[in-house]
Amino acid sequence: MAEKLVSKLQVKNKMGLHTRPATSIVKLLQKVKSDVTFTYKKDTVNAKSILSILMLAVPLNGKITVMIEGDDAETAMEMVTTAFNDRFGEK
Amino acid sequence: MRKPKEQRLQGIAISRGIAIGHPFYYTFCEIEERARNILPAQVSIEIGRYQNAVSRTSHDLHQLLDRLILDNVNEGVDILETHLEILHDPSLNTRVKLKIESNLQNAEFVFQEVIHEYQQKFASLNPFFRERFNDIQDVSQRILSYLHEHLRISFSDFPAGSIVFVKDLTASHAAEAEQVNILGFVTELGGITSHAAIVAKAKGIPYVSNISFSDLNLSEIRTVILDGRTGEVILNPTQKTLRMFEELAFKMEEQMRALKLDCSLPVVTLDGHFVELSANIEMVSELDMVHEHGGAGVGLFRSEYMFLPNHSIPSEEEQFVIYRQLVEKMQGLPIVMRAFDIGGDKLMRGSSRHELNPFLGCRAIRFLLKERQIFKSQLRAILRASIYGEVSILFPMVSCLSELMEAKQILREAQEELRVLHRQFKSDIRIGCMVEVPSAAIIADLLACECDFLSIGTNDLVQYALAVDRDNLSLGQLYNPADPSVVRLIKMVIIGASKQNVPVSVCGEVAADPRFIPLLLGLGVRELSVTSRFLPIVKNTVRKTSIVEAEKLAAKALKLSTSKEIQAILDEAYQCAFPEDPLYSYVY
Repeated sequence: MAEKLVSKLQVKNKMGLHTRPATSIVKLLQKVKSDVTFTYKKDTVNAKSILSILMLAVPLNGKITVMIEGDDAETAMEMVTTAFNDRFGEK
Repeated sequence: MRKPKEQRLQGIAISRGIAIGHPFYYTFCEIEERARNILPAQVSIEIGRYQNAVSRTSHDLHQLLDRLILDNVNEGVDILETHLEILHDPSLNTRVKLKIESNLQNAEFVFQEVIHEYQQKFASLNPFFRERFNDIQDVSQRILSYLHEHLRISFSDFPAGSIVFVKDLTASHAAEAEQVNILGFVTELGGITSHAAIVAKAKGIPYVSNISFSDLNLSEIRTVILDGRTGEVILNPTQKTLRMFEELAFKMEEQMRALKLDCSLPVVTLDGHFVELSANIEMVSELDMVHEHGGAGVGLFRSEYMFLPNHSIPSEEEQFVIYRQLVEKMQGLPIVMRAFDIGGDKLMRGSSRHELNPFLGCRAIRFLLKERQIFKSQLRAILRASIYGEVSILFPMVSCLSELMEAKQILREAQEELRVLHRQFKSDIRIGCMVEVPSAAIIADLLACECDFLSIGTNDLVQYALAVDRDNLSLGQLYNPADPSVVRLIKMVIIGASKQNVPVSVCGEVAADPRFIPLLLGLGVRELSVTSRFLPIVKNTVRKTSIVEAEKLAAKALKLSTSKEIQAILDEAYQCAFPEDPLYSYVY
């Protein structure tokens, strides 16, 4: 069943959503079938596009609205939330 | 066909050696793409060309990735993974395809337009994110080069016997070059101590810069002779010239081969003084050559180079893995690990700050003292690796005593933290201080009281002493290590350190130039550290120098008043001692 989930997540990486976390997100979402978008300030982008994520230029503590729509929305949201909280593996 | 005439051009000699080969012109796709209109029926062909270029780029990147994984360059792996994501970015690819369809234009033009759009969007971001455009550009150049069949991207698959003409050489391209294919480099831009130059020298690829391409009739050039000793580039040489240089190149190879045979001999002067001759390295993979050429150890490990092309500084664990591997591969020989020399021309992108005057700004120890977490995690990683061998720590670009004291304090804190965590480390690690700022040379006696050894980095010392940007070609003549001020500063360091019985090593380019060896020995230097390639020639020079004569030479040099005079007596002494050396003794 297609689901639509929305959640607000905070960037905890010191340098913000820079190349390394952006790469992690995109790699993570490769397995996800649902559509995923990030909204920051007024811009909404495809979260599977690394260039679009980088262009959001989200700094440390920036709040992103994550919207996931599709069959695997629930597991996808879980993965994304964990990844944000883990700072995408960065210290 | 008419035979073109021999033409001689004078450039700046960057990396010694002679190369004879065929020209290969390499452009980094700076050419403006021309729009070409296509018919609706050709849309699928253009999209196919684009997809083909993407998949070939992907193949390249995967191959590079495998190589980096094999070499354990984890941070490089991260970058390439990012590049792969950019390459497969759905927005980018959709945009290109849609635009080919709607504009009915050729793939390369449309692609370049799309990249320009990204460039503009990134230009409006804050500086940190703005720099990310570099990655996009890097990837797009590979794609574009595949869209142009006549351009090749990888330096490793150039035709055999190429002398590469390129506007400016990047360090990564120099690193990628295989000596079987690439015999030499000719560039329009680039200075003697640029990173590309350092890499070319380390690989022994002759390199001449400052040659203007605009006056060249490129299609008429068949054969090129590159003289990396004099900076001369000879186009379409006559048979006579060609034969002369072929003989010379042969003699040089013979000499190199002969010198390598002596690698196991001790590094001792004619009158019995021992000299410690170590190697400068940047990568773990260079260690094989150090052992092969009989290096006494590593006198300078430039730790930042492993991580330089990357986005952020590696964690303590990541560093520990690399350092441990490095120390174990030393097989008991000593290694000096220099803390990150970041800033100046070596900007870690993850911490990019724009300074008006980066060389006089927050670099090396200044940066580390500000970014304590980075500094401390590196110190902890080094300390932990130190139990596997003979490790010393070197602090870069210290300019006053308080910096050294503060660095030592942080080292103590790092040790304390490891103790609390019950981690093993060597508590009595040797610490050293780089002398590359004139102020440090002047207070060498004070610094020597607080550390175990001093290491003179001549490249920066020359630059700071003379206030000359080492890569500014219009000032090329001013940058001269034979300047009286530099010779006096080195002497000052030796005197200051000897008061405390602290050893001094020299690890700049000068130490690898055999003409300077007698002067350095005469000034009192007994430790040298050079790129491994130069170990045999430096060893040979030391073995044929007597300290008594060297001291006379140094005393004479200290009395001279210009760099020209000093260089002249060094050249003369060298020619007298080594008349047969085709690499450094030559008369025209």
